[in-house]
Amino acid sequence: MSRVCAIVGGGLAGFVAYATLRKGGLGPAEIVVFGTDPDPAAAWRVRAAAIRQRRMRSESDGHCAPTSFPGLAVRAALRRRSFVPLAESICDRFHPTVEEFLEHVEDLRAKTSWDESFQLAHIGRVRALEGGFELDERGFFPHVLLAPGHPGLSVPEELVSDPRAVHAYDPHDYADEVEVVGAGMAAATEWLNALAAGASVVSVRRREPERRPLNLSRELFTRRGLAAYHGLPPDERTGFLRCHSAPSYPPGRGWDEPLERARREGRFRVAPQLDGARQIICATGFKHGFCSDALLRRLVSDHGLETADHWIVLTPDSTVPALTDADRTLALAGAPAQWSYPAADTLMGAKYAARRFLRKVQAWRTR
Amino acid sequence: MAYTLKGRLESRIAVALVPLFAACAVALALKAWWPVELAGLMLGVGLVLDLTLYHRLIAYQPGWAALPLGLLELAVVMALGRLLDVGATLAAALAFYGGAWLLAQILGHAFFPLLRLSYGEDGGELGRAGAGVAATAFVVLAAAGTVAWATQPPVVHLAAGVHEGPLVLDYSQQLVGESGAVVRGGIVVTADDVTIRDITVIGGEHGIQVESAERVLLEGVKVREATLDGINVRRGQVTIRDCSISMLGNEYGQGIDISFTADLAPSVIEDCVLTGGQEGIFLDSVHAMARNNHVRRTTLRGITVTEMAMVEVEENTVEDVLGIGIYCGDYSMCDIRENSIRGVLPDRESSDRMREGYGIVSHYWAHVEVEDNDVSRSPYEMGEFAEAYITHD
Repeated sequence: MSRVCAIVGGGLAGFVAYATLRKGGLGPAEIVVFGTDPDPAAAWRVRAAAIRQRRMRSESDGHCAPTSFPGLAVRAALRRRSFVPLAESICDRFHPTVEEFLEHVEDLRAKTSWDESFQLAHIGRVRALEGGFELDERGFFPHVLLAPGHPGLSVPEELVSDPRAVHAYDPHDYADEVEVVGAGMAAATEWLNALAAGASVVSVRRREPERRPLNLSRELFTRRGLAAYHGLPPDERTGFLRCHSAPSYPPGRGWDEPLERARREGRFRVAPQLDGARQIICATGFKHGFCSDALLRRLVSDHGLETADHWIVLTPDSTVPALTDADRTLALAGAPAQWSYPAADTLMGAKYAARRFLRKVQAWRTR
Repeated sequence: MAYTLKGRLESRIAVALVPLFAACAVALALKAWWPVELAGLMLGVGLVLDLTLYHRLIAYQPGWAALPLGLLELAVVMALGRLLDVGATLAAALAFYGGAWLLAQILGHAFFPLLRLSYGEDGGELGRAGAGVAATAFVVLAAAGTVAWATQPPVVHLAAGVHEGPLVLDYSQQLVGESGAVVRGGIVVTADDVTIRDITVIGGEHGIQVESAERVLLEGVKVREATLDGINVRRGQVTIRDCSISMLGNEYGQGIDISFTADLAPSVIEDCVLTGGQEGIFLDSVHAMARNNHVRRTTLRGITVTEMAMVEVEENTVEDVLGIGIYCGDYSMCDIRENSIRGVLPDRESSDRMREGYGIVSHYWAHVEVEDNDVSRSPYEMGEFAEAYITHD
């Protein structure tokens, strides 16, 4: 059987795309996944463990399965034999545990025969040919989805060589005095972790974080909000993406009460700049933009692709317009696909790209 | 879910399809149109709310919001159903609505996301299927409407002038009188789904007699000079509205007599004027409602409910009657509310204590619930006799 699709990137975004293609009727022999670790959750697992994450920020449908139903709340309800997860889910208050999520990934990995399609390989170059793409010397594929993941951890330049500094997503313990740079979800998690470990914490931040359940407003996860977004001209769209990348973490007493208690005890304060603590935790997320990723940077330069600021310009269905036609598809998923879906670096974003990629493949197969 | 407007409408129509088909099946089984009317009303109310309110006010709709929105729509549907006279019983309407709501939740949360992978991120839109779903719903409703129209009973117009009776209506029809149309000698109804409207009936043993016929509507009829009852119903189910019945000089007849229909759907008598005869309204072993009627100058009782009947007697005026205003007897259960009873005269020729001029009488194991009745110019307001009782709400 010919290999129809290639997925470059074996992380969660690639895994979601693979599961979606399998749901769409493609067999394991028709798909090749190129990645650097056969465990699709390998990178995510390390980062979650580093910040001691216990629960997902996402809700019941924050999973990798191709259909949103049954979500993780249904799975939890069945396993716990309780309606509580379902009741929490209809109130948008169900957040699966990290263990539940990782179990689900393992189950899905086995069900979809992921390992049959996985090839341990790093792809350095995508070359567009007539009717498809050549991936290094690994073969020719009519349809390719690039899910390279985040291009690396972002550390403020002045801290790169500071021995006190550690990135939140790198394994670490906590000193007696900790300065946490950043104000997003990882930073908030680190505040609580360090406080729980008995440390005094200084939150170093230039702007106040927003408080919202998900990392974007909910309309932006569906066509209701996306229609207006897709209608924005390029300069406004880049402004929109910059504005919506402001740090945020969820509202709730679980976050506020420990911080308030520590503030009263003099163990938590906010500062605009570093103040000489023994440990600096950089909860500053990831590097941004196609320029930070060798594969994407080369793709853009080789094919003269249109870009806007840090982003590759994509169609609303997450494909690269200059390299997609009736005979071939080049799609992006994960963080690099923000031009088509602002929350592209979430599981919902991965599904958005994957479902549209599947449509392209199905349309090609039924021509 | 953050619905788009198109998504709301398509999802709304899609979840209404199954109830719509079910309504058609139930309508066929019951030979009644109310299930289709109710399903159509539910869909219409939902679409109007989607267009006018929900889309503008609800950018993101969490799962729990389905409950209050469902209750809001239920209230609107029930109010409109009552206004438009949809013939569903309350229990049937609630069961149908509840079932449809539950099904909608299952379809919206589970079935549609399984059927269409991008259902959620498309804001509830169904893609190409959306147009098909809308077309199907339209076809079903149009087909039901066409069948309803085609199976309407024929309208027979009765010209002005006097027509010799008795007329026998033995098939479904609407008999509509032009101004001045009179039938002399009575009308007999033996078929279901008969309507008689705007006709004066003079004479006959019974002015209008309904025999074993259901869904009979008598509207705007006038009856006088009948030798027995003005309107006589046996084993039938009727709605009598805006009638005028004169029984003056008739020693033994009743204005309206409905008997032996307890196993049928309730009959309704409303907005009628009944003068003379032994009793204005006589209800024997029936389920019925008598509302907003005016009964006067009867010689035995104003309104009588008897023999295990279950009747609501509301907002009627009973005046200048002999012996008893409203009577509930023989194991019957009566809700008697907001009636005005005045001028009940004691029956001097009777030795029966009940006939000494009571506004309301409960007799022989009957149970009467009363509320806000006004009894005046009568010797006694209420009386309980022979193990019967009256309770006050």
